[in-house]
Amino acid sequence: MTSTGIEQPQTARTARAPRPSRPPREGFSPLQWGLLFLFCIYSLLPLWWVLTTMTKSNGQLYSTFGLWFASPSNFAENVQLLFTRENGIFARWLLNSFLYAGVSAIGSMMFAAMGGYAFAKFQFRGRDALFTMILATIMVPSTALALPIFLLMQQIGLINTYWAVILPSLVNPFGLYLMRLFWEAGFPTDLMEAARIDGASEGKIFWQLGLPLVRGGLVTVALFSFVGAWNNFFLPLVVVNKDTLFPLTLGLSVWNQTSSSSGQDPIYTVIVLGALVSILPLIIAFLSLGRYWQGGLTSGATKG
Amino acid sequence: MRYRTTPWFFLTPFLLAFTAFFIAPVGYAIYLSLFIKKRVGFGPAQNVFGGLENYVRAFQDTAFLQSLGNILLFLAIQVPLMILVATAMALILDSVKKGFAQKFFRTAFYLPYTVPGVIAGLLWGYLYSKNLSPLNQITGLNTDFLSSSILLFSIGNIVTWTWTGYNMITLYAALQNIPGDIYEAARIDGASNWNVTRYVKLPLLRPALTLTGIFSVIGTMQIFSEPFVLRPLGYVPDNITPNTYLYLAVARDGNFGYGAALAIIMAVLTLILSSFFLRNVRGETA
Repeated sequence: MTSTGIEQPQTARTARAPRPSRPPREGFSPLQWGLLFLFCIYSLLPLWWVLTTMTKSNGQLYSTFGLWFASPSNFAENVQLLFTRENGIFARWLLNSFLYAGVSAIGSMMFAAMGGYAFAKFQFRGRDALFTMILATIMVPSTALALPIFLLMQQIGLINTYWAVILPSLVNPFGLYLMRLFWEAGFPTDLMEAARIDGASEGKIFWQLGLPLVRGGLVTVALFSFVGAWNNFFLPLVVVNKDTLFPLTLGLSVWNQTSSSSGQDPIYTVIVLGALVSILPLIIAFLSLGRYWQGGLTSGATKG
Repeated sequence: MRYRTTPWFFLTPFLLAFTAFFIAPVGYAIYLSLFIKKRVGFGPAQNVFGGLENYVRAFQDTAFLQSLGNILLFLAIQVPLMILVATAMALILDSVKKGFAQKFFRTAFYLPYTVPGVIAGLLWGYLYSKNLSPLNQITGLNTDFLSSSILLFSIGNIVTWTWTGYNMITLYAALQNIPGDIYEAARIDGASNWNVTRYVKLPLLRPALTLTGIFSVIGTMQIFSEPFVLRPLGYVPDNITPNTYLYLAVARDGNFGYGAALAIIMAVLTLILSSFFLRNVRGETA
């Protein structure tokens, strides 16, 4: 959307320009190709290794060439092992991750949409101070929060519950910041005033008139919250120790620990397959919603 | 004014959660950090008020200071290198018209960001392992990437791998937002491609670079997952980063007061380092 808006006037203008000296060129120079290619290998090689390794038994991991598939392939056995080990707890972790990330995405999106709306569209006492304070908390390290959260949760008996992971993930200060930008850019104040004169209630203005106009922002914030919660490791590590409550990140890390300790059958190739499963939803989200992904970054980057 | 209460209605849900899971924990951490663990007589250790004793202890704790040193090394080497590569790639991709190759590289560079830090740590941990590493297989060498002399660089590589593409996309998006007529003006003045990059693109990229810098600093101060998951695979010292040291100290001794003090110190250091960058952003937009 934004890209076509920028590109077209550019080409139109270069056509009129008296000296169109090498406008955005058609292709890369050999040096550029080389650099791109190198960085591409660096980015993709570990992922390629994942694809080849998931076809191997743990024995083949040591006996075969690292960057090619195993034959005979052990892929089916790995899939079976992954989903049956410890009574199929991996599927439970997968569901937990979807639950944690899904609730966090929807919850923090709504909170950020409402809060951002208040900051963007209303004048109130202490607005700027409050906003600065909220933004500053982006810099508070997660450990500084997780330890006291653990103790507070312990006092109210929420340790080892789904709530212990979900509740803290509902706050996304950066999401609030993004939503404020989206409200400022996407919802004209004139439109709001006009709706008020027509007698629309404040709730209706926000819900029916405003929200559809900042849909891009909503998707962006939901996406970032989803990724943040999906990747979260420290908080679950601190607040849950029952393996039925683990998200994927924590579960795989524990498998890695037991797999590496003596007297256990190492299951590294199964862990690698599990790692791929844990990445897939994010890759799909990225490829299908890439537009929003970049939209959030853009507004975050250009409007300091 | 009719709308005096309306904003507060919209703010309430966020502020409630924010207070419960940001303000209260930070306040509680400050409170906790004032208590020290002390054994009284033969009884079990008790938490007694110790004033700033935990903070004094932290600055005399060589293990903690070492972990801070590691992080400073990260800030001095890994962060600039990562931002340099990200900027170079963004400029290269921005220098040509959009097409298949360009889109392919953008997607390829971004993919590592979709890998959670823990998972990236696991995968690279296996790639680093002496017997498995395809690098060793290809070169016939027997490098131990997890040996203490290069461990920090191996962790730096994991972080670089995960985040360079993300930063590149941020910078690329900012470049795409530069209006075309600015280039036009520069070209009519006869500016070469290099001069356009040097005098037009890079200055306009500054806010995005600053933002990238801030987020990299914040992220670096918090590095935890990558070294943590490498621990079972090789010898990783407890104090490789401040966060691993803090977590393991608390998990081992249950000394929450000291852990809280370390966390507060890290928060303050992050604030100081980031405000250095933030001032830059303000200067740009104001």
